[in-house]
Amino acid sequence: MIRKKAWFLILTLLLFVIPLTALLLQSLSAPWRFHTGQGLDWGWQGYAILFENPQLWEATFISIGIGFAVLFMNVTIGLFTGKALVSYAYRGKAWLEALLLSPILIPSLAIAMGLHLFMIRIGLADTIWGVMLIHLVPTVPYSIKIFHNSYQQMGKAMMEQPHILGAGFWTQVFTVELPLLRPAIRSLTFLTIVISLSQYALTAIIGGGRVLTLPLVFFPFLDNANTSIMAAFSIWFALIPLSMYIIIEVLMMFLPYSRLPWRNHR
Amino acid sequence: MKLFKNKTFLLFLPAGAFLIIPFYGFLYAVIQSLGGEGFTHYHEILNSERFLSSVWFSIRTAGIATILSIILGLGFTKWFYPLLTHTSHRVMVWIPMLFPHFVWGYMIILLLSETGWMAQAFTAAGWLEDRSNFPVWTRDPQGIGIIITYVWKEVPLVILLLFPVYASIRPEYYALVDSLGGNAWHRFTTVDLPNLLPVLVESFLIIFSFTLAAYEVPALIGTTFPEMISVLGYEWFYGSSWDDRPLAFAAMVLTSLFLLILTLVGYFILSRPRWRAMRGNRP
Amino acid sequence: MKKFMPFFLLAILFMTACSDTSTNNKDWTEASWEEIEAEAEGTEVRLYMWGGDEGINAYIDDYVTPQVEDEYGISLKRVPLDTPEILQKLQTEKQANKQEGSIDVIWINGENFKNAKENELLMGSFTEVLPNFNDYYNTEDPAFQRDFGTEVEGMEAPWGKVQFVFHYDSEKFENPPATFQELQTWVAENPGKFTYPSAEEFTGNAFLRHVLYAQAEQPADIYEQPLEENNITPTAERTWSYLNEMENNLWRSGEHYPNSLTELDRLYSQGEVWMTMGYNESRAESLIEEGVFPASTRSFVMEPGSIGNTHFLSIPFNSPNQPGALAAINFMLSPEAQLEKYKPDDWGENTPISFDQLPEDIKEEFKAVERGESVLSTEELQESFLPESEAAYVDWMKEKWFNEVVQK
Repeated sequence: MIRKKAWFLILTLLLFVIPLTALLLQSLSAPWRFHTGQGLDWGWQGYAILFENPQLWEATFISIGIGFAVLFMNVTIGLFTGKALVSYAYRGKAWLEALLLSPILIPSLAIAMGLHLFMIRIGLADTIWGVMLIHLVPTVPYSIKIFHNSYQQMGKAMMEQPHILGAGFWTQVFTVELPLLRPAIRSLTFLTIVISLSQYALTAIIGGGRVLTLPLVFFPFLDNANTSIMAAFSIWFALIPLSMYIIIEVLMMFLPYSRLPWRNHR
Repeated sequence: MKLFKNKTFLLFLPAGAFLIIPFYGFLYAVIQSLGGEGFTHYHEILNSERFLSSVWFSIRTAGIATILSIILGLGFTKWFYPLLTHTSHRVMVWIPMLFPHFVWGYMIILLLSETGWMAQAFTAAGWLEDRSNFPVWTRDPQGIGIIITYVWKEVPLVILLLFPVYASIRPEYYALVDSLGGNAWHRFTTVDLPNLLPVLVESFLIIFSFTLAAYEVPALIGTTFPEMISVLGYEWFYGSSWDDRPLAFAAMVLTSLFLLILTLVGYFILSRPRWRAMRGNRP
Repeated sequence: MKKFMPFFLLAILFMTACSDTSTNNKDWTEASWEEIEAEAEGTEVRLYMWGGDEGINAYIDDYVTPQVEDEYGISLKRVPLDTPEILQKLQTEKQANKQEGSIDVIWINGENFKNAKENELLMGSFTEVLPNFNDYYNTEDPAFQRDFGTEVEGMEAPWGKVQFVFHYDSEKFENPPATFQELQTWVAENPGKFTYPSAEEFTGNAFLRHVLYAQAEQPADIYEQPLEENNITPTAERTWSYLNEMENNLWRSGEHYPNSLTELDRLYSQGEVWMTMGYNESRAESLIEEGVFPASTRSFVMEPGSIGNTHFLSIPFNSPNQPGALAAINFMLSPEAQLEKYKPDDWGENTPISFDQLPEDIKEEFKAVERGESVLSTEELQESFLPESEAAYVDWMKEKWFNEVVQK
């Protein structure tokens, strides 16, 4: 077990932590030009330019707000559909599952124009509600998958038992299913928020620039040869899903049967 | 049972309502690709050598990237899942997921290009005579850079999708296999695989369709020729004259149909009775 | 499947339903300037523009925004968005008959302008109502009449002017090539030290059009002629053989061309290649200051000349605040705003303003601006100036270059 842990640490350090460190270093120094023989030139220039941008904070808060809303809708739709899929064992299930997965199979460039037209028709174009709705397209199929799998693992017996004992639908969801779905919710939080945060084209078109999210501020800087700014932006970007993940982790402590840090461990 | 059936239907309602949005978009794309001229645009792209060579290159590159990601992700989860129950460990593994794809692609360039840190470190260590001897791994005609970026980025996703399944496999099953005299391979094929297969197939479909159709990474780290289909589609779409737009829509509709058919095939295989039986009492 | 039928029906209903049809009826180009200014007072103007250069962003955020607030009481909102995306948004809105849009001012030129004009995405002719345009610009200047060969017809107002230059590191070598012929020799003598972005990319395409100009009998054969493939066949043949001869000695033997100017800039920054280029004669200044380019970076232009163009501001068809847009554009064209833009601190870009029409004191101020060591002198730039060809050449070049150079 200890050897395994050592391997795990070596692998994750090498593959996942070192790139992050490199990015951090770059964000804290001027663009590297080692061939000239000069070393690291430390400085806050990357972050200074980042924080000079008057739109940064607005974009950050709007992105977080949208992230939470999208997550909430994802949990709702994913939970219902995942549950329904487990109870559904009739013919045509393959069709149904393919249908539910299809939104992430279609290139978003293909549907962007149609989606914009749709949003204009229902009057949600250029609004934050429209952006939230549109962020469901690349995320909901994942949620359905994740919840479906979790319900499958939970087993039908686990879902029939409370029903037999007379629990109502919502009681069952909150006291039995949600606590058991905790790993799924964790994965989902991470996934939906990261996906929602990296939507540039859809947000730009549907939000029409009226809904300013972080990628809208960030993407144009891809045309910039200054690697420090890029790195600083990337770090800022990564902090958001991380902090939201921690918030969700704290919130989940209030689900029934959670181990609370201030209680004795079993 | 009738009552239960109705209730199931109610549970599908939110998803059904949600599906209107992408389907409206797709319908619109189909209409645009026809452009009121029947299938001429489809005919045109299917006779375009540039399109066909990009199709082959895309399927090959996306296929390799997807299969590698799944094998590595599966191995990693299988080997380390007890450790992954710690939040801190999980977050470490998920670091690449914190960044959008293009940032990761950009990091690959910083790391692995001919002027990148690896080349510089190897030269400094004396393993390489000159930076220019470093192999061309980014913007290469074989798509190596694209594959590295995607594998590095998708392995954590595979871990994320597989981890809940592994976490929920009851250790009693392994004990059962052991007591019946099975070895590690038996444990994998009789306990893990039936549980994992749906997730593995779905992961394949998700990652494959993403890598096939996403634009940012190949645009950043791909080369001039051969090009990925997404890059070609993007050029047709945002090209200087808008006359090529129906071609872009036709290319994207074809890609979507291909992926949809692939998905259907995947689910039909999964729904075959043999696999359902092996998953035990859970239909 | 049956259960989903109602939803599909609903979807089809949405597709056929029509949205709001409110229009902003008033034609503000008929109004007096006082009326426009009065109407603009206290409104919000949304300026949509490419946002990838912090120097340009800072010019808008730190200078233009507070100034229009002072002068017209307008609150200016800069929205970073790529021009093709802006146009796509407008086109879909046009299709949905959305008359109340969200964009008031866009930054545009060339092929984007052509697309916008052809698809009727612009408000119409408005430049003649702008006092600053009439007072300080040579309204008859051909550079304002045609934009990449497309008739402007007053649908966009000139905001800036840029010229294509090459950059080199004066510490690496001393005498940059003076003609395109010499460039070929230079590349042969310095294998692997030169490359250009692919034709899909704005800068790369402009480089290739320079080669086309150089291979023609005279550049005017290209820029004064609409694209007729048969007429330029010999020139085109010479262009491809020039590029193909050069290819083996390019960076990575021409197997890969940078996908973007950024990629080329990074190669230059890393010392991999010794030259870069760009469609803005002063762009090296800020990159030197940030430490991306070496301080010894200088620019040069080659015979037969360097292509320059004008970029413009325009108003979309469904701008919700046309008076505000007109007032804001008028300010951005003013001598003060242009002078500030000319200074190298933030943007450092050339001005399309006519010096002859300026009051003496401002003229002096323009003359006193030091544009920086990496920028060529105004005389040198003017001497080498060549106008842009028709926009159709851009597309033609993309397609042909791929077939004749990349796949060969």
